[in-house]
Amino acid sequence: MKRASLIIAGLALCAAAVGAQPPPAKDNGAQVVNPFRGVMQDRSSHSPDEALFVEKCGMCHRQMGMGTVLLARRMDPAIARLEQRDDLTTDYVKLAARQGIGNMPRINRGEVSDVQLDRIAAYLAKGKVP
Amino acid sequence: MNSINPAAWRAFAAAIGKDQVMITEEDRNAYADHFAADESKHEPAGALAPASAEEVREIVRIANQYRVPLWPISRGKNFGYGGSAPVTRGAVVLDLSRMKKIEVDAATGTVLVEPGVGFFDLYDHLQSKGIPLWLSVPGNSWGSVAGNALDRGVGYTSYGDHASRICGLEVVLPDGDLVRTGMGAMDGSPNWTLYRNGFGPGWDTMFCQSNLGIVTKLGLWLMPEPEAVAGYDYEFDKPEDLGWAIDTLMPLRRDGLIQQSPSIGNWLRSAAVMTTREQWTKDDGPLDDKVVAAIRDRFKIGWWSVQVRFYGHLDVVEASMRVLDRAFDKKPIQSKKPALWKRGDPPEWSPVTGVPVSFPLANANWHGGRGGHVGYSPVLPPSGDLAMDQFKRTYALYQQYGMDYHASFAMGERSLTNVNQILYNKDDPAMMGRVDSMFRALVADASAHRYGEYRTHIDYMDLVADCYDFNDHALRRLNTRVKDALDPNGIIAPGKSGIWPKGKRP
Repeated sequence: MKRASLIIAGLALCAAAVGAQPPPAKDNGAQVVNPFRGVMQDRSSHSPDEALFVEKCGMCHRQMGMGTVLLARRMDPAIARLEQRDDLTTDYVKLAARQGIGNMPRINRGEVSDVQLDRIAAYLAKGKVP
Repeated sequence: MNSINPAAWRAFAAAIGKDQVMITEEDRNAYADHFAADESKHEPAGALAPASAEEVREIVRIANQYRVPLWPISRGKNFGYGGSAPVTRGAVVLDLSRMKKIEVDAATGTVLVEPGVGFFDLYDHLQSKGIPLWLSVPGNSWGSVAGNALDRGVGYTSYGDHASRICGLEVVLPDGDLVRTGMGAMDGSPNWTLYRNGFGPGWDTMFCQSNLGIVTKLGLWLMPEPEAVAGYDYEFDKPEDLGWAIDTLMPLRRDGLIQQSPSIGNWLRSAAVMTTREQWTKDDGPLDDKVVAAIRDRFKIGWWSVQVRFYGHLDVVEASMRVLDRAFDKKPIQSKKPALWKRGDPPEWSPVTGVPVSFPLANANWHGGRGGHVGYSPVLPPSGDLAMDQFKRTYALYQQYGMDYHASFAMGERSLTNVNQILYNKDDPAMMGRVDSMFRALVADASAHRYGEYRTHIDYMDLVADCYDFNDHALRRLNTRVKDALDPNGIIAPGKSGIWPKGKRP
């Protein structure tokens, strides 16, 4: 039960952390009246590679995305967003995308080409070598 | 698994570039149904990713030449219904996700989209240009705007019956011909996305849930940003409240006061998205009353919950709220929570205001491991008594098969759609066996009451199509005759919606 509260608090935190335009804080952490409220994510970017990440991955891996929600169950919610991680390597990102991981489906090459995946992986790895 | 003539692969590569012909084992896996326990069952032989309608036409010509079965997908996110996977193993996925053109006409509130345009893409497009048009999004908005409408998907706003908002299609026919429907049939018409009917027979619905062509452009009406959105989130305490709640709302739905489709659903909807099962119980089998009470207490929800919303001019929305208040006056609701958004307020940011989301798919994690769901959605008349009866019978089957009840009743203008998301753990073979048995029992139960499903998973398309049996399956005979006339080589999506080419029916 304690864990559930933490997760819900984590979700409320995610919802409140969208940046320039925070949604109205209608959920107070302990009581989720409408889990579908306050769900928008920051879709902005500051580089072409970040824009590609937002286009291809953001819906699940930015605020309130399915991936962010599920990763918050398995790790510190503060680093549940991939862009907050500092342990991702390009090889790991590419493997996770192509092989799938947990509830994440495999991302096929029609949706994200090899060239695009290289750019996204480099963006998430922040310059680390494989 | 790859029985496609190598010459066909070479021809495809010559037509669209070898990088867009994807036939490695990794590719085949990536286009399978990732919610399936046995992903090889619907594994394709590979995938082709054209960039334009002209390339689609060329692929279709080659497919006819070499008799290659194609399985067109828009973005392949039809999770719970098969994702990107074909009915028949070894078909070639025609992946249209690279086709992403968006043409919005802000003045008329319409958009022409290619199949690869996702809800997030269109949302970003409208936001970046400051166009005051709202989307209607499904609970998983990862998918394609066009694909969802063509599969008769639904959303939360008054534009939520997506197929009903289609206005004009561009379609590659199975012989490679290219046709535009409605006013689009007139070259250069400014009315393609404005007036549906054109002249003579209308064909748009022929390409919904069908295998009679490949839609390469789809016109869709979008809701002008309303002046206000208002409504209530109602909670209902007891299972039997379902009946009177539906009977209270349906007259308002029928007379047009309520323009969206309120969906009254049970306590598991919230719990399955926000938590995992093991947080509530270690016991197998259906959740007992104590667990249900704990879930409801945590989320402060009823046995059933429904969101009702009005969209439009503030005066009208406020008047609508008064009518709704009168309808529920003295009714034994557990609670109601008002919602009001007015133009100029900060964005409300939820699917009821057209914001795309993916997190409801977290319910795939309900059982802890790699999960998924399969949709069972029979349509029934808009009666509280019939809904209660449907609920009791379905609930008993969930109990019998040891599954957690996860259902809602969406109120259409003249019907109810009993949407069930049967949540499972795909790595639990015993559970997967129960899910399959329960699904077949549910379809049989609905059919016994003469209720048919509005949509189904690729595993069950024949099963569901079989239920449409008037005059010894006359509809199937019609579908088959049209299929054979338009697609004599049977290359487009064999088995889709239970429609098979000549000689291929299993």
